[in-house]
Amino acid sequence: MSGSYDRPPDRPGMRGLGSSPRTPEYDAYDDGAVVTQQGGRTSTQSRDPAYGTYEPEPISPDSLRTDYERVSRPDIYVPTREARKVQSLTAPIVPAGSVTGRSLTLVITIMCFLACLTVGAVYMIRQSANAWLRDIASEVTVQVQAKDGTDAEKLTQQVATYLGQQAGISKVTVMSAAESAALLEPWLGPIDDLNALPLPRLIAIELDRAGTPNVDAVREGVEKQFQGVTLDDHRRWQRQITTITHSFSLGGLAILALVAMATTAIIVSATKSSMASNREIVEVLHFVGATDRFIAREFEKHFLRLGVRAGLVGAILALAVFTLMPTIVQILGGGSLTLSELHRLVGSGSLDMAGYVLMGIVVVVIAALCMLTSRFGVFRILNSKH
Amino acid sequence: MIRLTNVGLKYDRGPEILSEVNFHLRPGSFHFLTGPSGAGKTSLLRLLFMSLHPTHGQIQLFGQDVSRITTSKRAPLRRRIGIVFQDFRLLEHLTTWENVALPLRVVGKRLDDYKEDVTDLLQWVGLGDRMHGYPSVLSGGEKQRAAIARAVIGKPELLLADEPTGNVDPQMARRLLRLFIELNRLGTSVLIATHDHQLMRQFKAPRLELHDGHVRIV
Ligand SMILES: Nc1ncnc2c1ncn2[C@@H]1O[C@H](COP(=O)(O)OP(=O)(O)OP(=O)(O)O)[C@@H](O)[C@H]1O
Ligand SMILES: [Mg+2]
Repeated sequence: MSGSYDRPPDRPGMRGLGSSPRTPEYDAYDDGAVVTQQGGRTSTQSRDPAYGTYEPEPISPDSLRTDYERVSRPDIYVPTREARKVQSLTAPIVPAGSVTGRSLTLVITIMCFLACLTVGAVYMIRQSANAWLRDIASEVTVQVQAKDGTDAEKLTQQVATYLGQQAGISKVTVMSAAESAALLEPWLGPIDDLNALPLPRLIAIELDRAGTPNVDAVREGVEKQFQGVTLDDHRRWQRQITTITHSFSLGGLAILALVAMATTAIIVSATKSSMASNREIVEVLHFVGATDRFIAREFEKHFLRLGVRAGLVGAILALAVFTLMPTIVQILGGGSLTLSELHRLVGSGSLDMAGYVLMGIVVVVIAALCMLTSRFGVFRILNSKH
Repeated sequence: MIRLTNVGLKYDRGPEILSEVNFHLRPGSFHFLTGPSGAGKTSLLRLLFMSLHPTHGQIQLFGQDVSRITTSKRAPLRRRIGIVFQDFRLLEHLTTWENVALPLRVVGKRLDDYKEDVTDLLQWVGLGDRMHGYPSVLSGGEKQRAAIARAVIGKPELLLADEPTGNVDPQMARRLLRLFIELNRLGTSVLIATHDHQLMRQFKAPRLELHDGHVRIV
């Protein structure tokens, strides 16, 4: 095959081979240079002597074009994108707009918003429930229901003295009849005649937190010793609070699972449609030797960015809701009483550090979900097609 | 390098395009592939590029049987092949420069490592002043040159070109032919499908002639 070029071999060499140093400037139309690539690098080098005997025809850029090309592309037609100052060298292979549209972003934002609201609400409820339980756990109430004719006051004092002698009890407070009545006021309204009602007298006991007081033994002792005395360590109440918080948590988990499922489903279908609309790109990528992993990465990049961006916006919106909740309640007509009730239910109504971390985790999970779902979606589509 | 044994090809319900095709191309060889329009040149190249499976027979590429190759195993082999399509297949949303750099990007090379190579090659094929424009504004011949640049940028072991000079003037055709010859001299096996007799006269290389589904080497 050698020597079959289109030029006579006796033409002089185009340049003094080896004599003059190459000009550093690269001549685009210099036929004496050949493009070689060694180890992935392309370099231009002089031909070896056997091939160095060509006279390049002077090619001007214009002569490279056919007459048709010269005529068909008038110089006035300069596309605006070509005039961009920054030359694009690594534009995304899959255009972002073809993957993550505005409505998709909106939906993922809403999903993250809901997830954050759920997580935040459950977290607050658990926090305040725990605080309650902690308070209640160290408090025991003793009810003294005096039988007709017995002196309630005297009996109460006797019980209090007895309790004070038991181990593990740090403080005994006897509540007066008026104090007991005050506790009932929110339910019964002002009570004029305290003696008209057979109100039990109350003794509040604070347990010593350091030791492990045997409440059951105390209960047995006090109930044997005195008649009409019951000891309530709020266990039923505790159980109820625990049950309620557990159900809230479970409900929250269910919502989170639904949100995750919906997000996955949306991303799967978005992956499908973006693969379909970028079919040509996928094809060309396959032609130039791209692996499925590479193609998947090109798609999942966009989904990751979508997840992070939508996730952050959703989380910030959720935080805004938590912050503005008191204001919203007030606007809806709730007074300070409603607010304090609300606070009792969901704690202080604001998130602490751990709460923020939880929201951050929600964002990370949503973003990861978007990315991984799209990755596996791409793999599945690529492998099902062939 | 390439060995076809009793290869037959038929599209779904159509007639047999290729039947009992046997040939062997050695590493470092240079061949033209000719035949009338519709003879099946493009189809044969697609077989060699593994975007078609033969209806029967066996195709060996780089010593591997690729007749029934799966998608996942295709990628590493395709990285060793450069292909120029009759219809170019450039991506419209990437600049010409980015299109040419695509094979290098796909194998995970770093921009700094291939930046100059791509620019050099584009200038060499006469697209120096158009490389940061988009393919949609290129002429047919310019697109063709971009497609060729993309095919050769990775210095493939095998170059398949489908009518690579179909849209350029004789002068440019000669220049492109020289590019292929240079590549061949550096060790790339080249197979060029062409109708261009003028081109084939310029370089003496064996021809695979496709006729009635059979291949004859002259
Ligand atoms: N995807 C396809 N499905 C069905 N028939 C096809 C397909 N592609 C090609 N053919 C048929 O196969 C035959 C060979 O086509 P091919 O494109 O290989 O010819 P060619 O030699 O490249 O022609 P040309 O020189 O015009 O490019 C044609 O008759 C064409 O109609
Ligand atoms: Mg063809």
